[in-house]
Amino acid sequence: MKRLSLHPLTWWIFSAAIAIAVSRVNSTWFALVAVGAMAIIVFSQKDSAPWSKSFGWSLKLALWIIAIRAVMGVVIGVPIPGTVIFHIPILKLPHWMPGIRIGGDVTRERLFSSISEGIIICAIFVIFAAAASLTSPHRLLRVLPVYMYEFGVTVVIATSVLPQLVAAVSRIRMAQRLRGQQTSGVRAFKRIAIPLLEESLARCLDLAAAMDSRGYGLSKKRSRYRPIQWKFIDSAVIAMGLLVMGLA
Amino acid sequence: MIKFSNVSLVYPNSTTTVIEDLTLEIAEGELVLVIGPTGSGKSSLLRLINGLVPHHTGGILAGDISVDGVSTSSVKPGALAHVIGIVGQNPANGFVADTVEEELVFGMEALNLSNDVMRKRVEETLDLLSLVPLRNRALTTLSGGEQQRVAIASALVAHPKVLVLDEPTSALDPIAAEEVLSILHRLVHDLSLTVVIAEHKLERVIQFADRIVQINGSGNASVGTPEEILMHSTIVPPIVELARAIGLEGIGVSVREMRRMTQNFRDSLSIEAKETTSQSNDVIVDIADLTIAYQGKKALNTLTAKIYENEIVAIMGRNGAGKSSLLRAMAGVSENSSGYVKIHGVDSQTLQRKIRRQTVGYIPQEPSDLLYGQSVQQECNQADSDNDIQPGTTFEILQKLIPGISEHVHPRDLSEGQRLGLALSVVLSSNPHLLILDEPTRGLDYQAKRVLTKILIDFARVFNRSVVIATHDVELVAELASRTIFIADGEIVADGPTVDVLLSSPAFAPQVSKIMAPQPWLTVADVVAAIESQK
Repeated sequence: MKRLSLHPLTWWIFSAAIAIAVSRVNSTWFALVAVGAMAIIVFSQKDSAPWSKSFGWSLKLALWIIAIRAVMGVVIGVPIPGTVIFHIPILKLPHWMPGIRIGGDVTRERLFSSISEGIIICAIFVIFAAAASLTSPHRLLRVLPVYMYEFGVTVVIATSVLPQLVAAVSRIRMAQRLRGQQTSGVRAFKRIAIPLLEESLARCLDLAAAMDSRGYGLSKKRSRYRPIQWKFIDSAVIAMGLLVMGLA
Repeated sequence: MIKFSNVSLVYPNSTTTVIEDLTLEIAEGELVLVIGPTGSGKSSLLRLINGLVPHHTGGILAGDISVDGVSTSSVKPGALAHVIGIVGQNPANGFVADTVEEELVFGMEALNLSNDVMRKRVEETLDLLSLVPLRNRALTTLSGGEQQRVAIASALVAHPKVLVLDEPTSALDPIAAEEVLSILHRLVHDLSLTVVIAEHKLERVIQFADRIVQINGSGNASVGTPEEILMHSTIVPPIVELARAIGLEGIGVSVREMRRMTQNFRDSLSIEAKETTSQSNDVIVDIADLTIAYQGKKALNTLTAKIYENEIVAIMGRNGAGKSSLLRAMAGVSENSSGYVKIHGVDSQTLQRKIRRQTVGYIPQEPSDLLYGQSVQQECNQADSDNDIQPGTTFEILQKLIPGISEHVHPRDLSEGQRLGLALSVVLSSNPHLLILDEPTRGLDYQAKRVLTKILIDFARVFNRSVVIATHDVELVAELASRTIFIADGEIVADGPTVDVLLSSPAFAPQVSKIMAPQPWLTVADVVAAIESQK
C-alpha cells in the first residue's frame, strides 16, 4: 500500500478515537481486533525512521505488562469463585494489614479476568504507540503551539541523539572485543560505560555549540517553514475513527 | 570583516596561553587558513570568531574581536548567527533535524525569517551546493562528503558574511575533499564570502588560501601569505618539502606552479624504470569469497585477497566503499554472509581473548573506544597484566612512540596524536601478527604522521608483521604502503604495488608524483633517492 502523507495529528486523533472505543466496549476480543487493525496500518505505512520501531517495542512491553499483571493478579487479589486450577498457600499477614490476601486458590476465572483486563489496558497503550510510530515527532512538533515547541525541540533533539548513542555502544563493544576483553558482566559494563559517557558528553557539547551558533533560542518568536496543511484524506481517516467510536 | 585586536586567551586550570596578543584583520572575501600542530588551539581560534569561546567554553579573553563591526564580547554567539556560519569538526554531531531540508531551515526558523524568504533561500542553497537530489533524504543515510556539504549549506542558508570551517576535509576521501574545497573556492570568488579554515592536510588547501595564520601552541602566531609562512614553517606539505629538497629558490603552492618551477630540474633527469620490490610468500591473511550484507545491501561482494608477511597494505576507496567492513571482517567481528577470513590458517571469527590479542591488533576510527582507564598508567598496567608481560613494558613502548607523556594524565586530555599513540602501544604490547588501523590520521599533523609512519614501517620490517591500514590520505599511503588495494562498492578494483595503483588514477595520485610525472616517484624521499643515484 502506498504511504499516505497525512497531517501529523491525524493518526493521533484516530488512535484516540479507537482507544476510546476499546475502553467503552471493554471486551478482550474487540481490544485484540483493534490492536490487529492498528498493526496492519503500521506495517503498511511504516518507513525506516527510528521512531517507526516504537510499535514493535510497545508490543513487547505490552506482553511483559500482561504477564506481570497476570502473576500479580493471581498472587495478590480478590478471590473469584470458580474452577480451581491450583492452590498457593495463604501467607499470614499481620493484623494491621486487613483486606489483603496473598496466595490462596487460583481459579480459572481469576486468571482470565486479570489477563483480559491486562489486554484491554495494554491495547490502549499499543494503539497510542502505533500513532507515535506513524508520525514523525519532528513533524508533530511543527503543528504544536510555539510555547510547547521550544520544549519539544529539546525533547526531539534528545531522542535523535539516542540512536547515535546506541550505535556508539555497539562500536565501543566491538572495540573492546577486539582488545580481547569480555563484553558482558559488571566489569565489562564499566569498560563500555566510561567511553560512552565521555562520548555522549562531548557530543552534547558539540550539539549545544552548533545550536547556539545557529541562533537557537535567540528570538522568542520562531517562524515555520512549509506550514503543514489539513487535507481531505485527514478528515476521512478521522471520520473512520469517530465512526468506530460512535458504533462502540 | 573580522578584526582581532590584541587578543589573548587562557583556559582555566591551564598554564599555557592558547593565543597571546594576536592582532589580525581579515578583509571581506579573503580565504584564511589556520595551521598549527594538534592541540595548539586552532579550534579555539575559530570559535573565538563567533564567540563560542569564551561564551560557551569558559576561558579568559583579553582584547577584542569584532565581526562586521559587532564585538563578540557584547553579544551571544546566537546573535551573530546571521553574520557567521560555523561548521564544526564533525558535522554529524551538530545536526538537529532528520532530513536535509529541515536541517537547512533550522537556523532560519530560529532567526524568525518569513516563509517565502526561507523557501527562496533553501532552493538557492540547495542549488549552490548541488544538494537538490538529496533534499528529502535522512541525514543519517548520507555519506561523509554529503554530510559536510549539508553542514556548509545549513551555515550558508542564513546568508552569513563569514564562513568558519574546522577541518572540513579530514574525514573525506580525496574526491569529496576536492569537491568541498572547490565549492568554498567558488563561494569566495562569486559571493565574496570571507572564509576561515583550520586544516591539517595542507596539500590540498594552500593553493586556495590568501593568507595563513600559523599558531604554535605556546601563544605565538604569525600571519602572512602562504609563500611567506611556508618558507620557514616546520609544518609544511610535501609540495614545499619537495621544493626545499631539490633546492628551488621559491616555493609553489599548486601543482601547476611547481611544474613550471621544476621544468629544468625534470629535464635534467632521465626517466627511470619502476622498481618492483620482492615480497614474502608467507600468507598471513587469507580472505576468500567474502560477502557481507547490511539489511540486504552488500557492503562487500565475494571479495578475495591474500596479505603476506611484512607487507604494509593500504586500503583505499570512497566513503562507504566497504573499507571498514573489510577491516572488521579481518578482525573477525563482522557477520559474514558467506566466505571467510583466515589469519595464519585460523578463522578470524573464532579468535578469543588472549589468542585474539596475539593474532590481531585493531585500532578503530576512534582510538578512545579502546581506552577506559582513568589514567595513562592504568591503561598501560591493564595491558601489561592482560598479556602477562613485565610490568611497565607497555609504558616503555609508549615512551618510545611518543616521548614525554605523563603517566598520570587522563587519556581524554591527551591530544589526538598522543591518544592514538596510547591505543597503539596498548595494542602493540601483545605483539600481534597483524595490525589493522582504520583511518589513523584523522586530526594528525605532519609531525605525528611522520612518527606513525616510522612506527608502522619498523613494526612490519623488524618484527616481520603485517599491517593493514584504511585511509583517505594519499600522502600517507605513498610514504607507508608497499601495496595498495582500491575498493569500490565492495569489490576490489585495483590491487598492486602502491606506485602502480596511485599513479594510475589522477585523483589518488600524491602531489609529488603529479609534479614529477612521468617519473614514478611518490614521495620527496623517492625524489631525493633518485637524485642521489643519478649523481
